[in-house]
Amino acid sequence: MKPKTSVNRPPTPDVLENPPEREPTLQELLNIKLIESGEKERLMELLRERLVECGWKDDMKALCRAFVKKQGRNNVTVDELVHVITPKGRASIPDSVKAELLQRIRTFLMSAAV
Amino acid sequence: MSSNINRSSSEPISPPPCLHLTEFRSRNGSHPFRALQDCLRVKPGRASIRRDPHEVPRCSDCGESATSRLYACITCATVSCHAPSGGLYHAAAHATAMSAGHEIAVDVDRAELFCCACRDQIYDRDFDAAVVLAQTSASTLGGGPSTIPSPRPENLRKRRRVDYRPWSPDQHERFLMGSGSSPLDSDNSSSDLPRGLRGLNNLGNTCFMNSVLQALLHTPPLRNYFLSDKHNRYFCQKNGNAGNAEKRTANDRDGGNGNRNSRVCLACDLDAMFSAVFSGDRKPYSPAKFLYSWWQHAANLSGYEQQDAHEFFISMLDGICEKVERDRRKPHSQGSGDCCIAHRVFSGILRSDVMCLACGFTSTTYDPCVDISLDLEPNQGGSSKIATTTSKNSCAGESDCMKTGQTCGTSTLRGCLEQFTRAEKLGSDQKFFCQQCQVRQESLKQMSIRKLPLVSCFHIKRFEHSSTRKMSRKVDRYLQFPLSLDMSPYLSSSILRSRFGNRIFPFDDEPDATSELASEFELFAVVTHSGKLDAGHYVTYLRLSNQWYKCDDAWITQVDENIVRAAQGYMMFYVQKMLHYKATERQGAS
Ligand SMILES: [Zn+2]
Ligand SMILES: [Zn+2]
Ligand SMILES: [Zn+2]
Ligand SMILES: [Zn+2]
Ligand SMILES: [Zn+2]
Ligand SMILES: [Zn+2]
Repeated sequence: MKPKTSVNRPPTPDVLENPPEREPTLQELLNIKLIESGEKERLMELLRERLVECGWKDDMKALCRAFVKKQGRNNVTVDELVHVITPKGRASIPDSVKAELLQRIRTFLMSAAV
Repeated sequence: MSSNINRSSSEPISPPPCLHLTEFRSRNGSHPFRALQDCLRVKPGRASIRRDPHEVPRCSDCGESATSRLYACITCATVSCHAPSGGLYHAAAHATAMSAGHEIAVDVDRAELFCCACRDQIYDRDFDAAVVLAQTSASTLGGGPSTIPSPRPENLRKRRRVDYRPWSPDQHERFLMGSGSSPLDSDNSSSDLPRGLRGLNNLGNTCFMNSVLQALLHTPPLRNYFLSDKHNRYFCQKNGNAGNAEKRTANDRDGGNGNRNSRVCLACDLDAMFSAVFSGDRKPYSPAKFLYSWWQHAANLSGYEQQDAHEFFISMLDGICEKVERDRRKPHSQGSGDCCIAHRVFSGILRSDVMCLACGFTSTTYDPCVDISLDLEPNQGGSSKIATTTSKNSCAGESDCMKTGQTCGTSTLRGCLEQFTRAEKLGSDQKFFCQQCQVRQESLKQMSIRKLPLVSCFHIKRFEHSSTRKMSRKVDRYLQFPLSLDMSPYLSSSILRSRFGNRIFPFDDEPDATSELASEFELFAVVTHSGKLDAGHYVTYLRLSNQWYKCDDAWITQVDENIVRAAQGYMMFYVQKMLHYKATERQGAS
């Protein structure tokens, strides 16, 4: 980034208005920890890599292509695509990838002592 | 979508904006995205939108921060979630709840634009240009020669398009052809073989040469060039010798012994060989003259004694080029593609991006290449990872294994190409000097193909030379290669798209010098190596009229495709599909 650090906030009427106060759940807490530590970005990177390696990404691409072809190039929105493909995508992630990620998150939990 | 990438039109690819984007732009003057500029966060390779670097964005409505897409309204910066499958539509709700003008939002994790009313991705040239600029060279402060819209290689600019017009000789031309040539003997020896198939005698461990020559003799554009008399050896020698006379005196003055060398023309020898091989004579041919010329050429090269088919291929292309260049006295840089027939056929351009991991500054270089050398075994880091994931993950069916690169443990050519174009972290031992940081930094290197050649030669690195242990070894692993190969995933445009996201690139006004059509290739020759490192044997398989032939020095036999598939490929030759025309079929029938 440019070393120019003057923060020009975009026009923001009520950014500071916080979401309704309540106790964050453990899941939310963990998510915030993951983001703040940068671990989430690393996990995402790992996941992307794994999904490419195991062919999942190619499979999804093929599914998307097929759907777009069926509907006609100008008759598809990203939302429809996400809607149609997401269930198939979730169902076809290899267990090994899930296991690896779970292990990584566990290790993070231990070290971060949330 | 990604299929837009390689459109052959020279029009920049930009889908029409939706009504909302058009209105938004007209309301917001010339810099509609200025506010966003300062929220753009660029980590190497990825762009996101954050008001401050450590912000954890969450939906202002429901507090959601993890499980869905999050969009920031461009007009009021409100962040809303959007999960079409989960039923939460706070982004869409925001667009309808506010007055007009709050439809356009930006995906906070991708820095891509979205219209919440149309519920679709949208594209804006200015916005994308700003993001890509931020991503590529965190700024242009470096002022170095390699800011992003890098100077294009000169030969990418010229793009000639010649319409195909069928031609048949008129009376006069017919007469000229009749008087200026003699018909080839009707091929009555073993006429079931396609024309041009002729064994090459082994002149003493010269299968490394024969194997490559067989591939070149059946390289469609090369064959057409020589068979249409574009390099006439009689003419070249006569004219060349005149030119060489000057050369000789110059050499003599230096006391050099360039005398003999200057009469050598590998292209002339190739011309002679094409004539002989396509004459219809089926007796094995001895390429002795060619070998002698190549020796003379290669004697100047250091370490040529290693008789490797690939090294022979490289040095012979060099040899053809050197001579032709000298004759024409063109100042072209070698290998640029316009210098000689060898480079016109085999020369492509590789793009290499090296990005500083500290500041994101990217240095881009373009290099001509006549082939692509691929690692058979993925590098240490990558391979072990891949191996473990695949072993844990039992393959769910044959079709899956065929599709993707390295699954199920079989190496594939596509897998090798993926590996070749994958971003690779350069370790601390090979840090690159960042022009912006002014120090050596860790970096990320990524290769891609800027321009595809007419004929792509892939060289599989089966011979490993370790300088530390002073030994060499041969990798005998099997490699699967396809008959038809789509190169579009490895083109710079595709690679950049996967790096920067779905955008219109400011330097995209030059769609790849290759159209969608030109990225499809057909296999026509495979040079294989069998046996040990030092005592091996080279054999070439040729695909003519969709039939495979094995060229083993002097012996030519028709073989089954399965034999070729099982062979240990060392060099694979692919030609652009549109040049792999049916002519070969007709030729086979004649
Ligand atoms: Zn819209
Ligand atoms: Zn808004
Ligand atoms: Zn929400
Ligand atoms: Zn010549
Ligand atoms: Zn050349
Ligand atoms: Zn740097």
